Amino acid sequence: MDQAESTIEVLNERGLHARPVTRIAQTASRFKCEVTLTRDGQTANAKSVMGMLLLVCPKGCAVTVRAQGDGAQMAVDAVCKLFTDRFGEGI
Amino acid sequence: MSDSEPAAPRRILGIPASPGVVVGRAFVVDRRRVTVPRWHVPADGVDAEIARFRLALVAARAQLEGIKSRLASDGSDHSGILEAHLMMLGDDMLIVQVEQAIRDECVNAEWALRRTVEKIKEVFDATSDDYFRERRSDVDFVGERVLRQLMGDPTELPRPGDMHGPLVLVAHELSPADTAALARSNVAAFVTEVGTGTSHTAIMARALTMPAVVGAPDALRTIASGDLLVVDGLRGVVLRNPTDGECADATDRGERYGAFVLSLRSNTARPACTRDGHAVKLRANIELPGEAAVAIDHGADGIGLYRTEFLYIDRREPPSEEEQFETFKRIVATMAPRIVTLRTFDLGGDKFSTAFRIPKEMNPALGVRAVRLALRERDVFRAQLRAMLRASCFGEVRIMVPMVTAVGELRAARAEFELAKRELAARGESWVDVPFGIMIETPSAVTMADLLAREADFFSIGTNDLVQYTLAIDRGNVNVAHLASTFDPSILRAIAAVCRAARERGIPCAVCGAMAADLLSLPVLLGLGVFELSVEPTAVPEVKEALRRIDVSEARELASQLLDMPTAAEIEARVRARWEPVLTSLLLGGEAGQYTETGRFVLPEYRPSA
Repeated sequence: MDQAESTIEVLNERGLHARPVTRIAQTASRFKCEVTLTRDGQTANAKSVMGMLLLVCPKGCAVTVRAQGDGAQMAVDAVCKLFTDRFGEGI
Repeated sequence: MSDSEPAAPRRILGIPASPGVVVGRAFVVDRRRVTVPRWHVPADGVDAEIARFRLALVAARAQLEGIKSRLASDGSDHSGILEAHLMMLGDDMLIVQVEQAIRDECVNAEWALRRTVEKIKEVFDATSDDYFRERRSDVDFVGERVLRQLMGDPTELPRPGDMHGPLVLVAHELSPADTAALARSNVAAFVTEVGTGTSHTAIMARALTMPAVVGAPDALRTIASGDLLVVDGLRGVVLRNPTDGECADATDRGERYGAFVLSLRSNTARPACTRDGHAVKLRANIELPGEAAVAIDHGADGIGLYRTEFLYIDRREPPSEEEQFETFKRIVATMAPRIVTLRTFDLGGDKFSTAFRIPKEMNPALGVRAVRLALRERDVFRAQLRAMLRASCFGEVRIMVPMVTAVGELRAARAEFELAKRELAARGESWVDVPFGIMIETPSAVTMADLLAREADFFSIGTNDLVQYTLAIDRGNVNVAHLASTFDPSILRAIAAVCRAARERGIPCAVCGAMAADLLSLPVLLGLGVFELSVEPTAVPEVKEALRRIDVSEARELASQLLDMPTAAEIEARVRARWEPVLTSLLLGGEAGQYTETGRFVLPEYRPSA
């Protein structure tokens, strides 16, 4: 089974608040594979807005994006791209 | 929206809290906790219960989608948050947990949902990050939406930016801070379920010249957001979905009231005196520095009460001496040469400040408030007194301590006052000695008035608290508020006793509560010997006008009769019978009432067009 993983820093000012998390969930939901975010040993389903909000990821923390199943690498890349784009929040 | 509840009454009667008439769309803010029912679901009913939950989710989604598509045009922040809320509605974490609770605990969907939302919120609460802690309100918002669907109350919660034109805020209750925030929005009037004409919210509404009806029972159940409302703050009536004719009538009356207020204000330069020429010191109660100019503009003869506690609210540390000095100086200089009565902070009770760690109290009205708090926080108290003394260099000032109940408290407060002066002297600061007086707001202060008068430089009777403590009535409690009458014989006797004590020692005695602005109470107060009044700035013109219609000699005669009467109802009836004809046209905001050629006063007939 496909597997992929990447650790990335939260760059946007307010961290993973409602809107970024919504965009992650929307992106992750486009893939059939299971996508998760892990921070400090806690893991949340990347398709669950509430789960990710509850991870509490402020700016500067490191988050690991993992995917398992069809298109795992593509899913991880797509989610990581959101992080590097600062979720469209500008600088 | 209103079609779904055809049985709801069209006319809601409340208490007129702030005059004026406004037509606007309702904006309902329901921050009360919905009471969530709990019942047992039999094992064979679990599937049906889960189906009911899923239906509610679908309905809530549809509702949110609807709002979102309407907002789509502005492409702003709102749709981003709505998108997040929509995702939450479809979130496994929520759905799975609720369904599991229904199945495992055999409880109804409402209860399972509330429990799940609480659990999620607990996790947010536990985080140290302020921003994320605030996010729990999003979860609440989503939970409420589904809950309302489950409980058959499809109330749409619009956002202020979602609606145009004048809005009528409808709420269970508003804090003074809420009311202050209204000044900056397109809210033109408000309606609350609780409160009385003397609650702080009502006082703020009048300061903001915003019509308000309070104590309107079931307003939240009856009124839906978006309903067109007529708010008649003169009579205390709210009309839901008025006809075109009623709207035109209301607009017309609102304009007439505005014109009337303007006409009164054009007379602000006249001195305040009675029909038979007795001068009255008519001053203003303010709580924001900017209101000083409003007070002058409305013809006030000074500030009879500056509520300094508003400097302490919504902050973590008490304001510094310097900050307070600057504020007081501004007010004193603006008012000069008129007198400014600075009241030391009256916190605790219903005015909670985060600047102090006030212990949680079962009964804060009887707890650490006002002078009691000052004497617990003596450094903070003296910093304020020093700021007041320094501001005294810029005009005429007097200092007043709230809620004194005993001579010992007055002495302790005065000792701090003296110490504050010595501290300033040691620092080489300039200051001016000023009168040091007290508020009479408790039955004990009334009983001790003769002895307090020996040690206080002046009295000011705070009728709102005096009524609350004398009659043991919480003015915010809608169940008993109607019993709180300033016409109560105990109140009249208390005022008479305090006036007598002040007169005997030759010290001034003012009234600064809502009673001073109640036009029908004016002849009573004058008759009892009160010649210093302090009212909200915007009430000054009408009080001045009313004073000009009253003969003191007659008021005295009436008062001596009233002091022998046993009940508030009898006293009020007597006062009304004699003074209503003279004062009614003012009470109704200058509406039609007038004298006929034969000298008879004709009351306006109120004809709701419905």
